[in-house]
Amino acid sequence: MNRLVGARVARINDPRLLTGRGTYVDDISLPGMLHAVMVRASIAHGRVTRFDAAEALADEDVHAVITPEQAMARTRDLPLVWLAPEQRHTHVPVATDEVRYVGQPLGVVVADTRASAEDALDVIDVGYDELDAVVDAEAALADDAPLLYPGWGTNVVASYDIGDTGEEIEPVFAGAAHVVERRLQVQRLAVNPIEPRGLVAQWDAGTESLTVWISTQVSHHIRDHLAIVLGLRADQVRVIARDVGGGFGSKEHLYADEALACLAAMTTGRPVKWIEDRGEHFGATFHARDVVHRARLALDENGRFLAIHSDIVGNCGAHASNVGTGPFRISSIMLPGPYRFERAGTRIRGVVTTTTPTGAMRGFGMQEASWVRERLVDEAARELGADPVELRLRNMLGPEDLPYETRTYQRYDSGDYPEALRRVGAEIDKRSRPSEGRIRRGVGVATHVEFTGLGPSKMQQLVGFHLGGFETGVVRVEPDGSVVVSSGVVGMGQGIETTLAQLAAEQLHVPMSAVTVRLGDTATAPYSASGSIASRSMVVGGGAVVRAGGRLRERLVRIAAHRLEADPGDIEVEEGVFSVKGVPGSSLTLAELAGHAWLGWNLPPGERADLEEKDVHDPENVSYSYASHAAAVAVDLDTGQVRVEDYWVVHDAGTVVNPMIADGQVVGGVAHGIGIALHEEMRYDPAGQPITTSYLDYVMPTAEDIPDMDVSHLCTPAPHIPGGMKGLGEGGTILSPVTVGNAVAAAVPEIAEKLVETPLSPSRMWTLIHEAGLHDEAGPHDDPTSKE
Amino acid sequence: MKAETREVTISVNGQRMTRRTEVRTLLSDFLRHDLGLTGTHVGCEHGVCGACTVLVDGVPMRSCLALAVQADGRAVETVEGLAPEGELSEMQQAMRDEHGLQCGFCTPGILMSMLAAERAGVSCAEACGDVLGGHVCRCTGYQGIRAAVRRRWATLPAARGEETPA
Ligand code: FES
Ligand code: FES
Repeated sequence: MNRLVGARVARINDPRLLTGRGTYVDDISLPGMLHAVMVRASIAHGRVTRFDAAEALADEDVHAVITPEQAMARTRDLPLVWLAPEQRHTHVPVATDEVRYVGQPLGVVVADTRASAEDALDVIDVGYDELDAVVDAEAALADDAPLLYPGWGTNVVASYDIGDTGEEIEPVFAGAAHVVERRLQVQRLAVNPIEPRGLVAQWDAGTESLTVWISTQVSHHIRDHLAIVLGLRADQVRVIARDVGGGFGSKEHLYADEALACLAAMTTGRPVKWIEDRGEHFGATFHARDVVHRARLALDENGRFLAIHSDIVGNCGAHASNVGTGPFRISSIMLPGPYRFERAGTRIRGVVTTTTPTGAMRGFGMQEASWVRERLVDEAARELGADPVELRLRNMLGPEDLPYETRTYQRYDSGDYPEALRRVGAEIDKRSRPSEGRIRRGVGVATHVEFTGLGPSKMQQLVGFHLGGFETGVVRVEPDGSVVVSSGVVGMGQGIETTLAQLAAEQLHVPMSAVTVRLGDTATAPYSASGSIASRSMVVGGGAVVRAGGRLRERLVRIAAHRLEADPGDIEVEEGVFSVKGVPGSSLTLAELAGHAWLGWNLPPGERADLEEKDVHDPENVSYSYASHAAAVAVDLDTGQVRVEDYWVVHDAGTVVNPMIADGQVVGGVAHGIGIALHEEMRYDPAGQPITTSYLDYVMPTAEDIPDMDVSHLCTPAPHIPGGMKGLGEGGTILSPVTVGNAVAAAVPEIAEKLVETPLSPSRMWTLIHEAGLHDEAGPHDDPTSKE
Repeated sequence: MKAETREVTISVNGQRMTRRTEVRTLLSDFLRHDLGLTGTHVGCEHGVCGACTVLVDGVPMRSCLALAVQADGRAVETVEGLAPEGELSEMQQAMRDEHGLQCGFCTPGILMSMLAAERAGVSCAEACGDVLGGHVCRCTGYQGIRAAVRRRWATLPAARGEETPA
């Protein structure tokens, strides 16, 4: 039979995207459509005392201005999804006159054009009573820090322990032969899909229904939360995601400004478009990371890992986001990585500050955990004079140890962790480019285990994550033999339309060209609470399609056997033709089978007429992908510039459905992580004004930063997932920042101890190099010829 | 407040188009919203990401940094004009074969820059370097795009494969 799973199949939606015929949200235009822009807070902390839109409203192009007061009256609180134990925020208002970050939406202007709405923005007079800002999470813990919610008496929104706590773990550190301790930090980041957020909302007064085309990863989640905040029934809201220009976590919940734009459509009775601009993105779209770890690794005299612990202070921004302290929690549960520890745990404090809330981004918590653990391990190797690969292998779980229960409640499923590390180790051994003059070279490795395929629902309930973890797949053969697959997951560039089609075509033994995949529209897609987040679309959504497709094939075989008067065991299926083994000429095409089946004719006894199967897949466990990476870097001691010269990945994401797409996910993820390692940083001034609000200040990785990489896959199927897939969209981002960091440490061991914080930008690097005295022997002017 | 308007005539992909538009209308918005050619994308509106790149009289230009009135009387080429409906140009096909796009949002701009590079006879190295360096892609990590450029350049007259013009 045809093998589509594992084949490098061209993506089915590429032609329309390549020819400019995609439909991204800003491409949608409806008759009579108006344009919304948000009125946003220009200060970090205070209360709105005046909101005067009279002059704006006098302009005939302006149709409405929704004031904070009106918005507060017409919206209900937005429920948060992931609630930590005793978290102080469980809901947040869509609108409020209390300002806690620059960029917070206060109101909406609706006008004939976007330009006229922006004109109106200029003449809306907003006055504030200003309060003190606090930007840094550790500063917000101080006794005299300004309080964002004075009623709490603290800026801590949630605080809890994960895994082994004080009395269980402290004696291990106290008795250890060697302890490595560092204050490690991951910077605040802006997510930056190249397509900003946006929506078009249309209220139909006749049917009292709201239709919203939106750039999102989670159509059903948006629908449910829009209904809640706008006081509608869920069935009154239809949410449609067409082509999505990247998500990376920034489009995985309903934002207050999106709800306000929908309110504007309901208020004016006209379709309303709202598109975020890039400057807005830097203040209005939730940020990510911004966390400090005081972390320790204990080893015995033989270099055996005993314990790992981190005291985490995470910056939640102005309020707990939909995921709240979730990233810090995921950092905690994945902190042990692929190693054996007797004890492991964290203390988490999530802190509010007068900054944009922090939420999800590719690598969610795991990138931070890898930064912490793999820096500590590398530092241990350096301090003990051990080989970094060998030290890791000495402590690594082997295939014989799996399944394995970690101290932080994870049940690792399958794989060969040492094999991945040995393979990258072999690659770097083959390579040795020497340092030349003031250019230092070094190679670093890192390794991890990754939480993918979010589910099971039971587990999500246990951890207070208020979304279901299942996915539903529907596979239907139409009367003409064409195949339609629908799923609640969303395509946002990750190629899920193509890979779901591959799974269905393989199950039904039909060519790819017979299959259409429909995603993103709550009116037609099966319900999906969690949607396309957490590397789960292929794992959980794909698993459902595998099972639904398999069951439909069995039914088709039974129907074919009945019509061909054969035993079902004797039916062969090839390219959509069902024939009896060894009986030439005795065959039926899928169209012939389907045409009669949908008439209800010629069915075996007890067989249903419809050729549609639906499978609800709630996985038994998380699927644990893993990888080892290596990077070769060159560091210019005079400029502080770091260049990644080579990069290797050995990755295991279970069954690889499409190796071309899989490589693309990994490479794109590594590139994102190299941006984190070297350039990207969202910064504020002390008054809480964001100071990196364009691509001139916030440096995105470009082609010259990213070398061609060597990516290979081990393919250990997930034992508990139909089809055996594990997630692969985030692994690249999770591991590459620390892999680069470790390579920089190898290149310049004099500063290794101080390599505790990203980005390793030229200015940070230059300072560290300078402080280490490496500018003393040969200053930048002494030997200019040694530069590349 | 009524902004000043002016009539603008542009040849877009060989077709003469005339519209009255505000003098402040960006070329990107004019193409996308006045003419409905939404293949040209807008990612930053400040000239860095390159998603909005079109050719004006054959020269690549960030259409978010130009006004529609500045293109009056000129010839503009956009992604919609790269191949007849239902077909892919060789560069588009190379992008598909090499997985040079994921979400596809940055893609039209890259295709237009590469078309100009091809016509200008720049080397493959320069196309992968300076030309691609003018675009931000969040999805691909650029590797698939470079592979597509190499695949396309391999089919061009030999001299372009190697040399970098000064
Ligand atoms: S939109 Fe024009 S360069 Fe980004
Ligand atoms: S393909 Fe998504 S930004 Fe380039």
